[in-house]
Amino acid sequence: MRPGLWVRLAARFLQRSWRSTLVLGLMVFAATGALVFLSSLAVGTNDAMVRNSVGLLAGHVLCRDLPPGVRAADLTGRGIRGALVRREVAATLRSATRWSPVELVGVDPEAEKRFTALWRKTAAGRYLEGASHDLYLGQGLARQLAAGVGQSVEIVAADRSLLGRYTVCGIFRTGIPALDGSLAFVPLSAWPAADARRTAAVFLEDGAVAAAVAAALSRLPGSPRFEAWSDFMPDLKQLIDLNYVSMGIVMVLVFAVVSLGIACAFVIFILKNLREHGILKAMGVRPVESAALILAQVTGLTLAAAGTGAAVGAGVVLLVARTGIDLGALTSHNPYFAVSGIIYPRLTSYSLGVPPLLALVFGLLAAVWPVAMVVRQRAAEILRSL
Amino acid sequence: MNTIDVQGVSKSYRSGRGRVAALSDVSLRVAAGGALAVLGRSGSGKTTLLHCIGGLERPDAGRVFCAGTAVHTLGPGALARFQRRRVGFVFQSGNLLSFLTVRENLALPLELNGILGRERDRRVAALLEAVGLPGVGAALPRELSGGEIQRVAFARAIAHGPAILLADEPTASLDSETGERLIGSMLEWATGHAATLVVATHDPDVVARVTAAIRLKDGRLEEPA
Repeated sequence: MRPGLWVRLAARFLQRSWRSTLVLGLMVFAATGALVFLSSLAVGTNDAMVRNSVGLLAGHVLCRDLPPGVRAADLTGRGIRGALVRREVAATLRSATRWSPVELVGVDPEAEKRFTALWRKTAAGRYLEGASHDLYLGQGLARQLAAGVGQSVEIVAADRSLLGRYTVCGIFRTGIPALDGSLAFVPLSAWPAADARRTAAVFLEDGAVAAAVAAALSRLPGSPRFEAWSDFMPDLKQLIDLNYVSMGIVMVLVFAVVSLGIACAFVIFILKNLREHGILKAMGVRPVESAALILAQVTGLTLAAAGTGAAVGAGVVLLVARTGIDLGALTSHNPYFAVSGIIYPRLTSYSLGVPPLLALVFGLLAAVWPVAMVVRQRAAEILRSL
Repeated sequence: MNTIDVQGVSKSYRSGRGRVAALSDVSLRVAAGGALAVLGRSGSGKTTLLHCIGGLERPDAGRVFCAGTAVHTLGPGALARFQRRRVGFVFQSGNLLSFLTVRENLALPLELNGILGRERDRRVAALLEAVGLPGVGAALPRELSGGEIQRVAFARAIAHGPAILLADEPTASLDSETGERLIGSMLEWATGHAATLVVATHDPDVVARVTAAIRLKDGRLEEPA
């Protein structure tokens, strides 16, 4: 068998039956293009959830107990955009009438504003400033303490000693109860407690792999334990995995339905040319060569149409990714979109590769029956039936 | 030896009216280099007989030997090899491949037999010249007249130099003059290449030009025509 001959014949078939080729190709093109866009949107939605979740406060990689010898300047390397070193201690906040346990965090306000988005969630007052004795706390905590902006609050250590008196400068609301009800921030320059853990939040470039960065940072002196976001936010990891599985099921279902249409169209296409297959068999074309000819037609058509569909779908993704799609109205009460509801669709090997691959698989499956029909029938049966 | 030997061949088809016998116990023999005309009305079994000889159809009973090959015993692969090497078929309606140009139609049997490149192109040009159509190589079949189609179909059938040329009413759709010329070309080619020719036809005039003739009626062989 000379593959080149059958590929050339298949090309002639497609070229000179251009109307059928065009209609069939449009079906595959539209299905592939739409799924490339939809799967890129799914990737973008997952990206947005990660971006929102890590960008609010925690970072892509965090260390809950940074050894004394490790400085912020040490937290650099491939894929790292920046790092914030903080201090944390469990304490109690006491207002004039009430008290509440709190996780007190000392931060560098200017650096925090560069990397995190918590300051954008200010519901009342303002964010922290330089060296003042400001206290920035969550809305749930403020309610618990019955404290408002401008009021004074005492910070009490675990041993009940008074650590300092601070003024509430601002109240934030993220919609995430764990943050709003238990966190309070003060500037590092006015940090009241000597005995506190040092923590680090590391922010990554787009495309950097958090687990790899965490592993690299864990090799720093003192063997600090760095965790990737997928480890300290397993709920988000599961949600993203679920999204990918759902999208995969949608793609298979869409192509299974579309493939029925494609299969019917392919059968009509091949039946229309059945006489030609009968003539070829009468000329001594072997069954395997008849099968190769049909499969070359299906493969050529599917690859061309799916390739074009994927290219156009990718083009639309790149175009839309410049501005993003604002789904804020649908995400405003969702804790995984606490910062922004803008989705930037993103092309990955998954979103760009799976739809054309499915198109090819289902196209070939659709060709099984016509191939069997042509291969099993004798030349005279085919010619007599027309 | 390009002898055709058909022994007791029967063939029937299923149809809406039950089983229809297309051929019943037909035997014949054509000597190597001979030319046989198969006469008979429509539905008499001429096409089925040619299909059985060329391996396009497997007989229900009987044996077919062509050029030393027991055609009735061949599996799909061996049958395809036999057809592409040893048999040329001219169909009633030409049956050119509609998606290929005339040149590509003529090149295909050569390519199936491994004749490629310049040799293929040279042979295609010679074939077009031989059937008097040197200028139609780039045309598609739908752009040809009925006579041109049959001449190209003949050229395609002989392109690879078959031992056996089977022609199923090749002149049915042609005017008498064109038909006569086509039959003349076939006979001339078969004689020149020591090939065996079997031609199914309605035309009694063909009988005078062949070495033997038979008549079929309702799938049965009448005495020699």
